[in-house]
Amino acid sequence: MNDKAAICGIGETVYYNRGDSPHTEFQLACMAITAAADDAGIAPDEIDGFVTYSDNRNGPTRLSAALGIQNLRFAATTWPGGGNSVAGAMQIAESAVRAGYANNIVVFRAIAQGQFGRFGQAGGSSGMGGGYMAGGAAFSGPYGLLSPAQRCALRTARFMHDHDISQEALCDIAMACYANAQSNPRALKSGKPLTREQYHASRWIVKPYHLYDCCPENDGAAASIITTAERARDRKNKPAYITGAAQGDGASYSTLTPDDLATSFYTPVAENLWGYTGLEPKDMDVVQFYENFTGAVLIALSEMGFAPPEGIEEFVSGGALVGPEAKLPFNTSGGNLAEAYIHGFQLINESVRQIRGTSTCQVRNVEHALTVGGPGYAPGSAIVLGASQ
Amino acid sequence: MKRVLGDNWVLPALDDDNRAFFTSGKLVVQQCSQCEKFQHAPEDICQSCQSFELHNFESQGQGKVESVAVVDHAIHPSLKDKVPYAIVAVSVDDAPGVLIVGNVIGKAPDDIRIGDNVSVVFEEVDDERSGERLTIPQWQAVQ
Ligand SMILES: [Zn+2]
Repeated sequence: MNDKAAICGIGETVYYNRGDSPHTEFQLACMAITAAADDAGIAPDEIDGFVTYSDNRNGPTRLSAALGIQNLRFAATTWPGGGNSVAGAMQIAESAVRAGYANNIVVFRAIAQGQFGRFGQAGGSSGMGGGYMAGGAAFSGPYGLLSPAQRCALRTARFMHDHDISQEALCDIAMACYANAQSNPRALKSGKPLTREQYHASRWIVKPYHLYDCCPENDGAAASIITTAERARDRKNKPAYITGAAQGDGASYSTLTPDDLATSFYTPVAENLWGYTGLEPKDMDVVQFYENFTGAVLIALSEMGFAPPEGIEEFVSGGALVGPEAKLPFNTSGGNLAEAYIHGFQLINESVRQIRGTSTCQVRNVEHALTVGGPGYAPGSAIVLGASQ
Repeated sequence: MKRVLGDNWVLPALDDDNRAFFTSGKLVVQQCSQCEKFQHAPEDICQSCQSFELHNFESQGQGKVESVAVVDHAIHPSLKDKVPYAIVAVSVDDAPGVLIVGNVIGKAPDDIRIGDNVSVVFEEVDDERSGERLTIPQWQAVQ
């Protein structure tokens, strides 16, 4: 491996509230992918690889046939899971491009929940098994522990307890996402700013999470195209070089244990990412953090090294995450909470925009842009994009 | 005792890994016969020394609440009249290193605190599918 890889094209559909998409999920996927090809300046049939995560409905052979691809050279996905693997999927594509196995690999995520039912919900695709729950769920379902929100709430509650963190810190995460979405016409919450009063007045989902602490469910698709740095330099948009990506998991992270209760699983991701890139949190000019739940982001921010747990509430307070001039420019498109929840892939595209200088909340002179995958599930993943190779 | 979330709420599907936990009438935690470490949920291999020799340890059933999340939004229709209910993660005094998920009786959900002492109690229910009598561990607040 000699040359770096780079993102040379991005695309997405219009984003919709859950169930409102007029298109099928596969149509959404094809729309985002062809938009990304157009953005890269290539024909759709020049795509020669597909990578995704948490998606078993829009497979590579169906996509190849639909897009007229004559020679699909690479197809892969992460282990089943969720948005924790968004940067892991990028890492797979980056590795394959650098190895020379394919030249234009699409990484994407598409979802239409009106068509297929709700992701991350008990009674949805995972099912309640006719009154029985099996395997690992047998130890949680009979106690009414069913949803990702409930799981992450147990971890957040302990983190808040251990480090004397108040509800305001969670509110600050939500408010930053809503504030940053206001300049983004793609954002579903554009025109719907959030006040601290609205946050606190909203109903509880599972304490310590209010309604506004939980990401909505949306329909849409987003895609990026990854190629070699050399090819990317000849394409029509500025390359976003892949400086490095990492996945991470710890020995006891597959189960709830007392020592690892208050975690988002990002300590090993941080170790691997900063070790691989030789960079540090202070080198990041702008960050996108996958918010499934605000409290899980708070833990991930700390585990990625932006502030120690006992200082994280102060770190996010006072508008520190709001706007392009923020102390830490954060979720500049509005994130999962306020732009759209396309399982975090729209965060990758926003990081590319920050490198190109085309965000609706553009930070000045971005050299490095960080995207962090879903917290609270392992293996976690994260990726750094760079303006130069 | 009756079931916290109602007689019609979902049951564990019994298998060889969880049968002792849900039918023995004791709080049972998997223990490695080689290194004596505890783990939960049961696994095919010891996560500390990779031994396959594992057995069930019968705990005295005293524990401590390590975290609590109070569910206000019912995500299944049959739980609509059960909210709010508290989900707890409990550490077990005589089986260090594991957390067991459950609900707490004897205290209002919003009054349950991290650090509260609890002792095991059992929901008893006939499982029509397996024909077995289930004893599902739950937690009683200790004053
Ligand atoms: Zn052992």
